[in-house]
Amino acid sequence: MISVNGESVANQAGQTILALLTQRHAPIDNLVVELNGQIIHRPAFATTTLHTDDRVELISFVGGGR
Amino acid sequence: MTPTHLQGLALDTVYANMKDRNVADSTTALAAAHVIIAGAGGLGSNVAIALARIGVGELTLIDFDSVELSNLNRQQYKLSQVGMPKVTALKQNLQEFNPFVTVHAVIAKITPANVADLFAGATVICEAFDDPAAKAMLLDTLSGVYPQVPLVMATGMAGVHSANTIVTKRVREHLYIAGDGTSTGAEGLMAPRVMIAAGHEANMVTRLILGQSTI
Repeated sequence: MISVNGESVANQAGQTILALLTQRHAPIDNLVVELNGQIIHRPAFATTTLHTDDRVELISFVGGGR
Repeated sequence: MTPTHLQGLALDTVYANMKDRNVADSTTALAAAHVIIAGAGGLGSNVAIALARIGVGELTLIDFDSVELSNLNRQQYKLSQVGMPKVTALKQNLQEFNPFVTVHAVIAKITPANVADLFAGATVICEAFDDPAAKAMLLDTLSGVYPQVPLVMATGMAGVHSANTIVTKRVREHLYIAGDGTSTGAEGLMAPRVMIAAGHEANMVTRLILGQSTI
């Protein structure tokens, strides 16, 4: 199990962050990914692999300010 | 030429009286602060006015856009300023409200390549973009180049939903995000709710300048 925004998600260990985001249909351009408290920069989404007990936080944004 | 008097009063008298109602012991710290605001639209123009009024000493405004008629239902510009670069118009307005603030107007599009240059020297950084991808890009990039500088952001302030759904959250040690988190610009954007989110941002920026890091 890993945790995504506090929810337990099964069968993710061994997958990349990019695979996790794609599977969740997450709006990739509009979010920042935190893995175990560290921000993972966008170019590393495809190369960073998830492990059991990892904590992923997706910091998502919507538009409208400017 | 720097005037020695304003409204017939000596400059130091004007300054002291303009700060008379500020919170006790805040004025010196505010005057020493440099806040850099990314975006000069509905959020940024309102944040900048709040911070200029209380006497934040140095403000840098960054935006590439010009004032349009459709901005005027929520952004702090005048009909006479339509067509001007937003940061030029906003600097003009801020200096009318408080001539003691140093305002840097930067006409630029913020990209990962210029973030390190544009945001150097900030006490606090305030994100005030409309585009969610630009928000994510700025957080991603700043977390790499200036991870210790407090960053105040906003997401979700559209429509006429309850004012009380807009809150400030502390997401990481140096990251604060204000807004309802869900309402997008597609449903329409209007001054009252945009100003609430801007007020959240401006108050958090002020708290951080004064050493208060809790929400």
